[in-house]
Amino acid sequence: MTGEGPAGAPLVRLRGIVKRYGGVLAADHVDLDLWPGEVVGLVGKNGAGKSTMIKILAAAVRPDTGHVLIGGKPAALHSPSAATRLGLAFVHQELTLVPAMSVAENITIGPGSTPRWGPFVKRGAARRSAVAALGRLGVDLDPRTRVDQLSVARQRMVMIARGVRQQARLLVLDEPSASLTDEEISHLHAVVRSLRGDGLAVLYVSHRVEEILAITDRVVVMRDGRVVDDRRAAEFDQATLVRSISGSADAAPPAAGRAAADPGAVGERLLRAEHLTAPSGVSDVTFDVRAGEILGIAGLVGSGRTELVRLLYGAEQPSSGQVFVGGRQVRISSPRAALREGIVLLPEDRRGQGNILGHSITGNITLPNLRRHRRLGWLPSPSAPRERRSAMQMIDQLQIAASDLSQPVDTLSGGNQQKVVLAKWLLHGASVFIFDEPTAGIDVVAKAEIYALVVKLAAAGKGIIVISSEFAELVEVCHRVVILREGRLVGELAGGAISEHAILEHCYDAT
Amino acid sequence: MPSSASADPSTSRSLLPAPGRGGRRWPTRLIHLSGTIGLPVALVLAIVGFGIARPATFLTASNFKDMLFDSAAPAILATGLTVTLVMGDFDLSIGSMLGLGGAGAVALMSLHHVVWFWAIVIALVLAMATGMVNGVLVAYAGGSSFIITLAMSTILLGIEYLFDGEQTVYSGVAHAYTLIGQARPFGDINVQVWIALGVAIVAFLLMERSEAGRYMYAIGGNREAARLAGIAVNRYRLTGFVVAALAAAFAGIMITAQAGASTPNAGVPYLLPAYAAVFLGTAAFQEGQFNVAGTIVGVLFLEVISTGLIMLNLSTAVIDIVQGGILVLAILGTRVGRKALQRAGR
Repeated sequence: MTGEGPAGAPLVRLRGIVKRYGGVLAADHVDLDLWPGEVVGLVGKNGAGKSTMIKILAAAVRPDTGHVLIGGKPAALHSPSAATRLGLAFVHQELTLVPAMSVAENITIGPGSTPRWGPFVKRGAARRSAVAALGRLGVDLDPRTRVDQLSVARQRMVMIARGVRQQARLLVLDEPSASLTDEEISHLHAVVRSLRGDGLAVLYVSHRVEEILAITDRVVVMRDGRVVDDRRAAEFDQATLVRSISGSADAAPPAAGRAAADPGAVGERLLRAEHLTAPSGVSDVTFDVRAGEILGIAGLVGSGRTELVRLLYGAEQPSSGQVFVGGRQVRISSPRAALREGIVLLPEDRRGQGNILGHSITGNITLPNLRRHRRLGWLPSPSAPRERRSAMQMIDQLQIAASDLSQPVDTLSGGNQQKVVLAKWLLHGASVFIFDEPTAGIDVVAKAEIYALVVKLAAAGKGIIVISSEFAELVEVCHRVVILREGRLVGELAGGAISEHAILEHCYDAT
Repeated sequence: MPSSASADPSTSRSLLPAPGRGGRRWPTRLIHLSGTIGLPVALVLAIVGFGIARPATFLTASNFKDMLFDSAAPAILATGLTVTLVMGDFDLSIGSMLGLGGAGAVALMSLHHVVWFWAIVIALVLAMATGMVNGVLVAYAGGSSFIITLAMSTILLGIEYLFDGEQTVYSGVAHAYTLIGQARPFGDINVQVWIALGVAIVAFLLMERSEAGRYMYAIGGNREAARLAGIAVNRYRLTGFVVAALAAAFAGIMITAQAGASTPNAGVPYLLPAYAAVFLGTAAFQEGQFNVAGTIVGVLFLEVISTGLIMLNLSTAVIDIVQGGILVLAILGTRVGRKALQRAGR
């Protein structure tokens, strides 16, 4: 199902690309053609496989099977520099500039890219070349300015100029409009159109449906690692595109996993956030969580989900707004304070923040609970046998697959590492459990186990907050879902109204 | 979820054998062994080697007592340093702190006629304040421990000169003060050895057997994870700097008590050996991990090497080169071993 491009041969052809990460099929026999002088939009949910395709083109990962043809010839994408030589340029979502270097230095950086005289950089030539590249984008910038003094929008322009200057034939723009104003976006679009006029192929990745329809000639929709739609942009409108992204099978009833949207089971209000605002990207968010309730927080990457729950856990401080625990206003100045209020967080970055990887399973589980494992009540000295007993008990309760309590946590699989984090907090006890992407990178079986535990906790009267990029999971377990977009709470769904489609509509502002 | 754990094949089978279990190939086992008993073995080998070379002078009770005596103050200094390093912080001001602690106490007694007891108390209070400033600037204000404590080192040297006027002070030192360096309460062994032993035992219990020690190791293992587990990370890091400064000042007091005199800028030469001892200690007992017991073995190893080399009647030049070379090799050895393990997937 490949859409028709302009006349002539495609510049880049991806054929039968398969890429598997553990048990997850990130790319499932993907075919994709990119013609010169065409802007192609690549859209899909988080985890649909877009990033995998970009990484394969950038030679950051290699496909398990399948191949890439460039100009009709098989391309040997062994390394990122090979991709550059073949005329593929990338503007990644993250800013990849050297902050303390000038605009000119950043644009001309890289082997073979810097005008040199022997070992010396020709500064004048570099500056002129940078100005030329910027001029092609219609951007007027002093090449001597340090990039850390530029706005994010201008930094992005510098990144694009770098790509253009590399004699690129294909330019891949990954979320280029993130954090840009409308005016800056329209300027960016003008640049993209002029590059298309110059005969470049452009692959444009964005979460903004409206933008995709405005700038691209053709739209490729990915879902679960497969290309599910590949048509002229004119054949879509916002509603049909969102439907294509979310999948039409969404009309199916919520799965049985949900502890049923039984409002009678939901008890008193445990936690309430009012007008929470923080410079990290949370503005004026108000919501509450009740006992026995599983609240989902949905949103695209960068919508402020993680930032919001870090405020609730005291890992960051809000600039304004209030938090109430059991009706009482509290100031959560640190994770310690959150723990005192009975709030725990299972962080998104499980390896970097959830566990101390080099330390033993027991040591991780008992770390915040050492006071309860003393040899004697008054002596602050943990008793190893007591710690082992507790750890053993948690391992049985959560079915953690480990052969030895003293083995370091980093020898465990992702699912079992996540269970160790949960074990730590179950042993500690809390009234509100916050799960940030609890199933990221975890296989299907462990996922089901973790959600079974979540449901069990809710049934025991705990308040649960779950963040997940996999909206299907939220549909399955949540009683209520709130949706964040650009740091704001833009929608709330409850009970039977929760569906992937409805969540996506809020995420993409297509309601 | 009945029997679901068995349905996850990726876990149980990919588990590596836990440390200390069999089923490993010998190079891996050897590297692990060298990480836990490498330094103690090296210490024994050094004693045996020098004992064979100089049986009449090296292998005597009085030489061993001397070596223990000489190790006492460095052991206290290095023990304090271990606490900060465990949490991932460097303290480069401990050399100057040692100098200031000793010279400050002596100068207060001699030049300012302060009673010996209060001279010691003032020196220790000064150390505590220094540690707090280091801790606030590094842990709370987020400064680089390397740079902050390096700058602090210069400041402390200046303060020392304010006390002693860059002069050697050798008169007016109270008899009670010199007893800290000269008394032999039990078994004809100098009191400093007993003090160092006591400090080491307390530090060992604190680090290995107390809640605070567990938190400190957790902070060193992953600061952010420790913070999110509710540990008061900054408070412990500040405490670490206070402990290091107090230990340094007390070591300085001990050193000046030995001679009943102080010399200006005496502390800085103690800095590098202290770091050497702590790093060498990562090849003892707890592989790749700073630990108090390892630090003590490291101090003893350095003392045996330097005493032994002197007894071989080598020139100072050769002694310096050999001593430095041993340090480089030892630290390289533990690093190379660790890297090999990482490549092998531990």
